[in-house]
Amino acid sequence: MELLTALGIGLLFGVALYQMLQRNVIRSAIGVILLGSAINLFLLAAGSTNGVVPAYSTFTDTQADALPQALVLTAIVISMGGLAFIMSMLYIISVRYQTGDMDEVNGLRN
Amino acid sequence: MNHLVILPVLIPLTAALVLLLLPRTARGWVATGAMAFSLAASGRLLWAVGESGQAQLFHSGGWFVAGMPVGITLVADWLSALFVVMGQLVLLAGFIYALGSREQVVHYPTFYTLFLLLATGLSGAFLTGDLFNLFVFAELLVISGTILTAVADDRYGVEAAFKYFYISLLAAAFLLLASGALYISYGTLNMAQLGEAIAAEATPLALVAAGLLLATFMVKSATVPFHFWQPDFHAAAPTPVSASLSSVVVKLGVYGYLRLTTLLFVEQAALIQDVLLVAGVVGILFGGLAAIGTHNAKRMLAYSTLAQIGFILVGVGWGTPLSIAAALVFAFNHALIKAAMLMMAGAVASRARIKSADFVHITAVGQRYPQLGLLFFVGALALAGIPPTNGFVSKLLIFSSGIAAARYVTLALIALASVLTLIYTMRAFVRIWWRTADAELPLKRGDRLIGPALLIALVLLIGLWADPLVTVATETARWLESPQPYIQAVLGQPALTESGVSAYLAGR
Repeated sequence: MELLTALGIGLLFGVALYQMLQRNVIRSAIGVILLGSAINLFLLAAGSTNGVVPAYSTFTDTQADALPQALVLTAIVISMGGLAFIMSMLYIISVRYQTGDMDEVNGLRN
Repeated sequence: MNHLVILPVLIPLTAALVLLLLPRTARGWVATGAMAFSLAASGRLLWAVGESGQAQLFHSGGWFVAGMPVGITLVADWLSALFVVMGQLVLLAGFIYALGSREQVVHYPTFYTLFLLLATGLSGAFLTGDLFNLFVFAELLVISGTILTAVADDRYGVEAAFKYFYISLLAAAFLLLASGALYISYGTLNMAQLGEAIAAEATPLALVAAGLLLATFMVKSATVPFHFWQPDFHAAAPTPVSASLSSVVVKLGVYGYLRLTTLLFVEQAALIQDVLLVAGVVGILFGGLAAIGTHNAKRMLAYSTLAQIGFILVGVGWGTPLSIAAALVFAFNHALIKAAMLMMAGAVASRARIKSADFVHITAVGQRYPQLGLLFFVGALALAGIPPTNGFVSKLLIFSSGIAAARYVTLALIALASVLTLIYTMRAFVRIWWRTADAELPLKRGDRLIGPALLIALVLLIGLWADPLVTVATETARWLESPQPYIQAVLGQPALTESGVSAYLAGR
């Protein structure tokens, strides 16, 4: 399971980086989404294997560490807000330049 | 436990939300009042730190296990308190400028709310003692800054905002990965606990995290080679916002470097300092030359930030207590100078026939506004480091600390590069105030000058009476000499040993 998770995280990172390096704006946005997922999976893996006794409870048996799950939840919420915002900016830019190719968005260059 | 610590975060945050309930005309004044109140609280906080000589703590939630804090800890030590005061001082001037600004963007319904959230994010990121909490506050800072730029009057605001947001998402990804890597290795995200555990044993993953954190802070402070978003973004942002972005928001990266080298990765600090030294010198040269080559006043000042951040990095990179104190004084002074200069560039642009900071449009605009010219001249002198301004104090300290550390090659390079500063600031001054206009220029009402005038007054005041600032910076540098005081303050006396940490982890 550990190997599978590691391979999955690596695969997601690879695909995310490949997509982010594309010139098409939608592809690069997809890359950002995948990168977020890869990192969330990495964080989740950080706490899934080492079981510990919760700090404030009467349990005596070990549980999965809850902190990485809380971190992932926060990260998901933040990245969702960020993605909605990045999509709306991409929409404005692509309407202004009538293109989805980042190389043709050149207003800042001169 | 001191509740004062959370006030610089809580006041702007509460005010930002309350503002949405108020009528639009009242929002600006209430926001400025809240910011002034918050600055007073952070000034009191710095005073409390100075009085006790100890870090002030706030344990949110008050959760402890075996005497160790497990909730998010806010820590105001010398470094955090100094940076919070610096940030809020400049932000307050930004709010005052926004009140008198004639830009359309200040009438945007949530302008002041977002500006206050930016202040919250910045103060929170300086004060937090938890790595993941740093990520959250940094994201708040980035998102509010980006939205403010996306709605700016500038035609290319959205593109600049997109560029910045994209690279910031990557920086956030680095920071998250670093938190994950450190959490796997040490089972904690508290910076004091991390500092102690990394000093005891640096796992391979921790070294990866060091690299990722370094990259994150390089993006945040626009250090070469992660600088390319900065001139576009800072030039396109609304003037009051860009004054804060280019002066204090980039200092988040500087704060990060200091925490990396003096708290988290003390053993590996020499390598990090070498990287910073090279990046700093390249930044000084590149920023200075690019500022000379550009044809827009706001862009020129944005490039100048690259160079000035370079000086601070050189100070951090030398790593002696003297040079760190010099870097802190430089950071504080640069915040005041750069904010004032950007506000004045915006004020000139608002008085030009076509509202733009391009030199083509603002040539000779200054003729009718000699008072503004005087302020700009003082600011230009301060940026170039000529007495009687605070810029002279910071340059003097940097150079004398370099001589004390016997780093003559770097010294020669940065001395050469600081001549560039004089060239571009004076060129801007001559173009705006000494040229005669082709046609009679109309006397136009532009942005009010209270904000920059206040900052320039501070520039002169510190230039003439630098003692308090230098004393605070020296105390801060002494505090940073060893990570032990910080760790002891957060984890309680006596500091837990290496075996204590592992016993705690096993006990959980």
